Amino acid sequence: MSRQEMSGRNTSGQNAARTTLCAAIEGFTFHGGSGPALRGVEIEITPGSLTAVLGGSGSGKSTLGRLLAAWLAGGRDGVLRGTLQLAAGGRQGEGCPLVFSGTGDDPRIDSAAWADHVGYVPQDAAAMLSAVRGTVEEELAFGLENRGTARSEMTRIVAETARRTGLTALLERDPATLSGGELRRLAIGCAIVTGPGVLILDEPLASLDPAGERTVMELVRDVRGRGAAVVVLSQHADGLTRQATHWLVLEDGAATAAGPPDRLLAGGSLASSGVVVGGPPVLPAAGAGSRPVAAAAPAAASGPAPAPGLPPALQLEGVSFGFDANDPGSPLLLKNINLDVRPGEIVAVTGPNGAGKSTLLRLFNGLLRPLRGNVRVAGKGIAGVPTGVVAERLGLLFQHPHDQLFERTVQREVIFGLERLFGQHASAKAAAALAEVGLDASGGVHPHELSGSGQRLLALATVLAREPAVLALDEPTVALDAHGLDRLTAAITAAAGRGAAVVLVTHDLAFARAHAHRTVELKDGALVGC
Amino acid sequence: MSQPSLTLPTPGQQEGRNRRLLELLGAAAIAATFLFLVLTQPADIAGGLGSVSALVALGGFLLGAALLIVGVLPTLPTSTVVLMPVALVLNIVLGQLMGTSGLPFYFDAIGTVLIAVLAGPAAGAATGALSSIVWSFINPTVLPFAAGAALIGFLAGTAARYGLFRRFYLAPVAGFATGILAGVVSAPIAAFVFGGTSGAGTGAIVSAFRAMGDTLLAAITKQALISDPMDKAIVFAIAAMLVYALPRRTTFQFPFVRRCNVLAGKKPVQKDS
Amino acid sequence: MVPRLNPLTLLAAAAAVLVMTTAASSWAVSLTVASGAVALAAALGRARRVLLAGGAILAPFWLSLLVMHGLFYPEGRTVLAGWGPARVTAEGIGFAFDMGLRTSAFVLVLMLFSFSVRVPDLVAALATLRLPPQFGYVLASTLMLAPIIAVRLHTVRQAQESRGLVVEKGLGSRLKAVRLQMVPLVLGLVHDAGTRAQALDARGFRRAGPRTSYREVHDSAAQRFFRWAILLLAGAAVVLRIVASASGGGPA
Repeated sequence: MSRQEMSGRNTSGQNAARTTLCAAIEGFTFHGGSGPALRGVEIEITPGSLTAVLGGSGSGKSTLGRLLAAWLAGGRDGVLRGTLQLAAGGRQGEGCPLVFSGTGDDPRIDSAAWADHVGYVPQDAAAMLSAVRGTVEEELAFGLENRGTARSEMTRIVAETARRTGLTALLERDPATLSGGELRRLAIGCAIVTGPGVLILDEPLASLDPAGERTVMELVRDVRGRGAAVVVLSQHADGLTRQATHWLVLEDGAATAAGPPDRLLAGGSLASSGVVVGGPPVLPAAGAGSRPVAAAAPAAASGPAPAPGLPPALQLEGVSFGFDANDPGSPLLLKNINLDVRPGEIVAVTGPNGAGKSTLLRLFNGLLRPLRGNVRVAGKGIAGVPTGVVAERLGLLFQHPHDQLFERTVQREVIFGLERLFGQHASAKAAAALAEVGLDASGGVHPHELSGSGQRLLALATVLAREPAVLALDEPTVALDAHGLDRLTAAITAAAGRGAAVVLVTHDLAFARAHAHRTVELKDGALVGC
Repeated sequence: MSQPSLTLPTPGQQEGRNRRLLELLGAAAIAATFLFLVLTQPADIAGGLGSVSALVALGGFLLGAALLIVGVLPTLPTSTVVLMPVALVLNIVLGQLMGTSGLPFYFDAIGTVLIAVLAGPAAGAATGALSSIVWSFINPTVLPFAAGAALIGFLAGTAARYGLFRRFYLAPVAGFATGILAGVVSAPIAAFVFGGTSGAGTGAIVSAFRAMGDTLLAAITKQALISDPMDKAIVFAIAAMLVYALPRRTTFQFPFVRRCNVLAGKKPVQKDS
Repeated sequence: MVPRLNPLTLLAAAAAVLVMTTAASSWAVSLTVASGAVALAAALGRARRVLLAGGAILAPFWLSLLVMHGLFYPEGRTVLAGWGPARVTAEGIGFAFDMGLRTSAFVLVLMLFSFSVRVPDLVAALATLRLPPQFGYVLASTLMLAPIIAVRLHTVRQAQESRGLVVEKGLGSRLKAVRLQMVPLVLGLVHDAGTRAQALDARGFRRAGPRTSYREVHDSAAQRFFRWAILLLAGAAVVLRIVASASGGGPA
């Protein structure tokens, strides 16, 4: 391929080449995998279309997306049987299909050449970045540098891509300092910088606030407007996936339904898939709560609120906090917070990104210490008590299960340290906690080989097994599919029923309203609506 | 070509042969340097400062390490290259911590051994050499030890290839043997380039041997034979612990692990194509 | 002034100075080079950092050398004092000073280089040398990854304390805690590396053929000439030293 041709196709400012991508995957098994990750999946992606691949956590969506984008390669990453056909230029039939039979003679895809036509953006946008470029503009240029694009051309494309992704004001920033939404747009920018005709987005709206969701949805519209096809992989039938022209539903690696969204929604083919189905389509301009929730049941589902007479299990008295403790004049992040949570009560704390919700949670168990005021857990003050000791009475669960899990099997993970608390009852307690989150059949699996939803539930089980007086959860709904949400709801309701106080921090207003006895909002450093 | 190819051609033989040549030249440079230093050593130390020895040690070992890096790096799959910075940070952080602790250990090869076990001897050697070069941005005194670090990576990968990581108790044994060789190769650097060792623990041991009348190279070599095998035995054990903590699907990403059946109880389900 | 210089010029200068210092093998040259490095650092306003970082490496090294050779130097003939097996000899002290000064020059020059060079510029400049792109990647990624890993270790520690895993004090429990923290840290990093590798491949990291650089690194004909000249000079110094040594007339 000559240099002229390469830069000739680099015209991401203009319309994308009309590209059709067809795949028929008979089976794909990872090296070392216990069974096929995908079997019997067919998909056809036509120019300008929006396809949604829906499925619960671990259903094979990401594997399919990565195979389509040649991020995963047959032979190198696993055994692939099936065909892939990419026709750039719009005429179908052009470009002969690549046939994989799972043997050594299979074609080896040049993933860089393939990526010129098919771009993929992973759910973890940070993993898309090279991590060796100090500014947003250099990160965007990385793919162009590698193909030898001339400097002047490169500057033009970077500026144009930055304009399309709304990153123009951030070009000089260090990518490590970007917010979640900005990072997602940068990752998409890195994928479209070479002007691919097909763009595959893995959970593009996950953990974005409404403003972030809006910008990503506008970007999808812009990409489609230029003739490119977009594929969205998601476990939510939400505002974005409902705009799709075609749905493909995956369950356990196999396609269980395909067709137009309306028909599939009406036909109930999503019921067992684990896809989270929300209310009516949400308009991009909608405010908070655009993330639909499973089974929006009334608060009664959580059981009756506990009698007010009991002493609080968690008590915050006049707590103030700021990160700059040495400067008394600096603004406080949290001001004079009072909060009582009684045994058996479920309290949800909501608020916009950056309001200090996670900081508030870290004050509960002493990871952060208040500048003023007192925190009492189960009646005892925690000032001067190490976090590891407070943890016996208060279980705190963070967003990323990866940080907490370290054992070789699910079973060992839950039982770790339980002997010290429960002696010979440890294994019974562990088994009960695993059953509660629905992982009792997965005891021998490596924690990292569980689905994203499964990992979060396992982390929840490790905390539940210790039977703390207070359960504090940071964004528990993120990354859970419909089955996971059901398990989570059941587990926290059961814990509250046993007399534990539950505090959950969430941006998901609908979930909070549905499952908490009380919802308070953290706003401008104060709790509103206690 | 109007339609650029979407598939890769089968790898060319010539290219591979050139890379192989660079690797062999690198290994030869390191071996020749070591032999030169050991053979000329008595005359040099009697004459006082080993300036020529220092130049040869620096030049020969660094050239060997550089050839290894240039020869090996382009042949490695990206998944291994991307893991190298992680390994290097582990090496550097633990090495720096150990260096200030006063104990006669180094702990600066855990990442190197990890890569060697997952990706093989060549990748291990390149990681070791790169580790010294990158670390020298923070602590320049480790730069001349690049060849020794490469040897550790190479030997760890070789141990993995022949199944010494399939049994947990064999890993420290392999580490012990690696430590003996690595210590002997690194001692001339400490003797001729630096005239001694840094760190209170190692310094005390060298002084003790010197008090008994050993030459500087002999004293430092004996010190290395006390510290290195123990250190590498621990390092290999830690690396084995980490590798066994990894999920199967992750370790099986590495062709070396699949092809040479490096880890116990992790036999491939299907024949690797 | 330094940002205007090409990183390769700085690298060539540092390397050549070190080679010449080693070849000269004289405490006077070593002392001159070491103080020159400090003076240059001071002129660039980096003296504090260079001295602190260099001092942390050199102080234990000097201490070790002085104890080792100051007290035990069996080759020494001029005994200044002695306590049993320990003898302070003039030769031992001299050897310690020779070696200490040479290493000081080595460390200070390289510290000055690493505090003066901007890593992204160095990587961009190295790319023009036709080194494998993987080399620049590993170099830059390691130096940029360190703070990210530090943050990650902190969150792992917090997450585990919240699970009640870090309670007791003492060495055994400390070691256990290290294992508990190492495993999730390494597992997480290895997992991320897998995704990053796929992303890099898709973005053309392994493409053959010429590459370009978005970052512009300043260079000039004069600098190119300087680089060649100083490296030739260093080579000449080595040759001179070998010739002198082979003819047996080299200074001690």
